[in-house]
Amino acid sequence: MIWLTWRQFRLQAITAAAALAAFAILLAVTGPHLASLYSAAGIGTCHGGSCGQLASAFLSQLAGPYPTLYLLGVAVIILAPVVIGIFWGAPLIAHEFEARTHYLAWNQSVTRTRWLAVKLALPGLAALAVTEGLSLMQAWWAAPIGRAVGLGGTAGGIARASRFYPLVFATHGITPLGYAAFAFALGVTAGVLIRRTVPAMAVTLAIFAAVQLAMPLWIRPHLFPPVRTTTAIGSDISIAGGGPTANYTLTTFTLPGHPGAWILSSGAVNATGNPVSSFPFCTQAGLRSLSSTMTCLASHGIRVAVTYQPAGRYWAFEWTETAIFLALALALAGYGCWRLARRRS
Amino acid sequence: MTAVVEARGLGKQYHRNWALADCTLSIPAGHVVGLVGPNGAGKTTLLNLATGMLAPTTGAIEVLGARPASGPAQLARVGYLAQDAPVYAGLSVADHLRLGAHLNPGWDGGLARGRIERLGLDPGQKAGSLSGGQRAQLALTLTIAKRPELLILDEPVSSLDPLARREFLQELMEAVADQDLSVVLSSHLISDLERVCDYLIVLVGSRVQVAGPVEELLATHHLLSGPRRDPATLPGGQHVVSASHTDVQTTLLVRTKDPILDPAWTVSEVGLEDLVLAYMSQAAAGGRRRNHLQEVPR
Amino acid sequence: MIQFHLDGRSGVAPYMQLIHQVRQALRLGLLREGDQLPKVKDVAAGLAINPNTVLKAYRELEYEGLVAARPGVGTFVTGTLSGASLAAHGPLRRDLRQWLSRARQAGLDDESIEALFASTFRSAAEEDIA
Repeated sequence: MIWLTWRQFRLQAITAAAALAAFAILLAVTGPHLASLYSAAGIGTCHGGSCGQLASAFLSQLAGPYPTLYLLGVAVIILAPVVIGIFWGAPLIAHEFEARTHYLAWNQSVTRTRWLAVKLALPGLAALAVTEGLSLMQAWWAAPIGRAVGLGGTAGGIARASRFYPLVFATHGITPLGYAAFAFALGVTAGVLIRRTVPAMAVTLAIFAAVQLAMPLWIRPHLFPPVRTTTAIGSDISIAGGGPTANYTLTTFTLPGHPGAWILSSGAVNATGNPVSSFPFCTQAGLRSLSSTMTCLASHGIRVAVTYQPAGRYWAFEWTETAIFLALALALAGYGCWRLARRRS
Repeated sequence: MTAVVEARGLGKQYHRNWALADCTLSIPAGHVVGLVGPNGAGKTTLLNLATGMLAPTTGAIEVLGARPASGPAQLARVGYLAQDAPVYAGLSVADHLRLGAHLNPGWDGGLARGRIERLGLDPGQKAGSLSGGQRAQLALTLTIAKRPELLILDEPVSSLDPLARREFLQELMEAVADQDLSVVLSSHLISDLERVCDYLIVLVGSRVQVAGPVEELLATHHLLSGPRRDPATLPGGQHVVSASHTDVQTTLLVRTKDPILDPAWTVSEVGLEDLVLAYMSQAAAGGRRRNHLQEVPR
Repeated sequence: MIQFHLDGRSGVAPYMQLIHQVRQALRLGLLREGDQLPKVKDVAAGLAINPNTVLKAYRELEYEGLVAARPGVGTFVTGTLSGASLAAHGPLRRDLRQWLSRARQAGLDDESIEALFASTFRSAAEEDIA
């Protein structure tokens, strides 16, 4: 059974190995230079506040292929589970039904359950290995960037990428494992239920995309109860709006004293802690600059209320989300097994 | 003699239609059994129930004394060749033999390789590029080389040209003689089955119309022709299968164990094809009165 | 070794055709005592017929004392049909030719001759049984 599974999986395995090798070569060729750029920036020996500036300097000078490669790496890891779900998962069983080879497969001396179990295990494990391999390679290559951001460097588009930033969260740590397992199991189950390869591929793509959108938007923020606090109006605050009605929106992307925290929402509150959105007392024509507006608001006791997840919870989030997806994958696989063994039609 | 297939009140329902109803059979071992009936009559359904691809809605079926596909040992005793001989298009002929060797503990590799060689199949050729006849022979080799006790084939020759058909049946008969196999094969043409079957089941309109050894069927069915007469006036032991009348003449196909003593009848023997056709036309006429036949999804 | 053939449209059961062909071969001296009949497997495969059919024919021949089965080896001829009957063939053939020419002179066509022969043959056989 292992031989048959391997023989049927051969083409996909070789493609994946080739892609992995190409990616590895690309990263291996460019990685050391990136590391040397990092050490040349002197961040290794910095202290305290100067680190942030050095980090920002390092990040802003990254030109040429590095930002592109970074994004390419992120894209590859984001797409790997989808590709696995569509091209490894969906055809696994659907193709057997379409070609009617299930008549051949199920009338050898192997039970349907054992047949499906091996067919799930081999490509499933390969899926996990490939995705995690990509993620680890990317993590090794982008380590300098990650350290620079962690030290408070803020420059360029890459620097927005805190660990909780959706694209970063989804491509680092162990979450890719969960996504790959889920996508594969989703594809297989779609194939079992729909029995046609192309429709199963489409359904897998649609459902996986929907889940991957819903997770960071609505589910992940609430996996743990968020923390609420208020902070004084400072340089991190951005103000939008204004005009005669003096309706300002205050938002912040970082929380002083909590580097790397995940800001879920922020807004202005008055001295008693209630949200306010209009500030008629700060609409004098004299307030022309941002800093004077902020001084005016601060003097009236306006603060910013922030709802956030502490940076220290990062790994808790990683493990929880991975566990959720792995559980979903197992549930789907179990359901697929049950449907297949049912012999209704 | 032990029964290879035992069915009691077997039925399978899809949505609102019964693909198979009220099927009670006891197929003895050591025979080549022909399952004949028009398309949509339920042949594939019955064979799928016998191999465990489907579960019954009502009744029960036992194959070689056990529930179909109830475990690896049971699966090893029964070989199945589905309609149109599905094979893995991307795998070569030799790969298929390896498949058989890996998935069947009772695999006879020498037998398989010998047949492939004798058939002139190229082991390196991809199965997808084989002709229909070659695919059927490959699939047959796969089922025979696992050394089952019972072989079930669903319309194995329906889509083959006459030469491929003859060669397939030759290979099958040799395997039957060699391994003492019991065989159940279905077809919608009786001519495919006449030479090879010694037991017949006629399935029309999802129901078994008649079943028994071919010799006995031929001995107990007679064609009676004589002056115009109401079939209801016949003696009780004579069961009328089909009747046709002109204004002066009546022709009846009857099934009876007793001799026909009425001198008014001219008695002649019935060929297997006419026998089957009579059952098929009667059941079709009755079916049209009841509900429409449903094509069974593959 | 003799080779069998089947006429699917003759209306005669396959096993009877096999028996006839063996008897014919014995009469014509094609099969002699000690010769082996083709193996059941080879006949079944060659003609694409049920092996039970071949077995039935061979058992019938064994019952008539013409052949004997040796388990694991094959089926061998033990009796003959030639000899006395072959010697009688010549004169019988001459008589038959004379009868045929008489029938033609009487105006019978082919079909009438065959019908006359068949019905007389059958009624004579029935009288023999009765």
